[in-house]
Amino acid sequence: MAEPRLTKFKKLTLETLQVGDEFVSDDHLVLPEDIEAHGFAVEDEHPWLAEGVAPPTLMANQALHLRHSKYLVHAGLHARMEFSFVEPIRLGMRVRTRGKVIDKYERRGKPYMVTEYVTEDDAGRVLVRGQFTQMIIPEPEAPHGHTR
Amino acid sequence: MATRVETGIAVGQALSPLVKDVSQRRIDAYSGVKPRSIHSDEAWARQKGFRTCLAQGMMSTAYVSQLMVNLLGPGFARGGTMSMAFVKPVYAGDRLTAHGVVKDRQNESGATRVVVEVWVENQHGEKTAVGHATGLVS
Repeated sequence: MAEPRLTKFKKLTLETLQVGDEFVSDDHLVLPEDIEAHGFAVEDEHPWLAEGVAPPTLMANQALHLRHSKYLVHAGLHARMEFSFVEPIRLGMRVRTRGKVIDKYERRGKPYMVTEYVTEDDAGRVLVRGQFTQMIIPEPEAPHGHTR
Repeated sequence: MATRVETGIAVGQALSPLVKDVSQRRIDAYSGVKPRSIHSDEAWARQKGFRTCLAQGMMSTAYVSQLMVNLLGPGFARGGTMSMAFVKPVYAGDRLTAHGVVKDRQNESGATRVVVEVWVENQHGEKTAVGHATGLVS
């Protein structure tokens, strides 16, 4: 029996992060309760856009969490988010998000990373694409920040 | 799912604002409950220097999405865009209001792209997120 393939996680710092790093999420089956929970969370009493059509930002956290698939993230802040909604996300779809680090930099002494992403269905059809910027707060220097 | 038909969206038009009470329960529903998370672990949030748990900035993108869907319907879900900067923390217990003002209308392949300046502000009138969103009407 083959050995399981194990991910080796590295502590996320500006030094360990590589521009060009690629991430992929697990597949997620869009369930009715996902849409209902999202509607509750953001106080949207009519979260279904049409029968079987989910709110456009439903899977946004799948993109935001991509860096956790390779790195130990002590703390961070979400600075910017961009979306291009190509096709609606629908109930019953299996969706996956892929991402790639396209930039890293320091501004006013704070390290940042920029990730471009695409969320697709299981046929590879693009649903949402965009990019986001996150501040990196390494463990010894984390008086403020959060775990996203 | 057809793009919504033009019904007279004018430059300068203010969208109906959305008011949101950001309770801890709603933050938990959005972000999940985890230890060592400033979204759901108040002691951890205080240890990190915040007065209580923080809402994810991403919740504000959902509010803006709701504004745009109210304006454009399916023309936001297919062909819409959004760009937001998160400029101030949002705390559990805050009351947010999402705003939008139509800034431009652009011809695009037989449809009209509506450009909206959007922002979210807290109960003190401080902006917590700013940006713009666009979508299509035929």
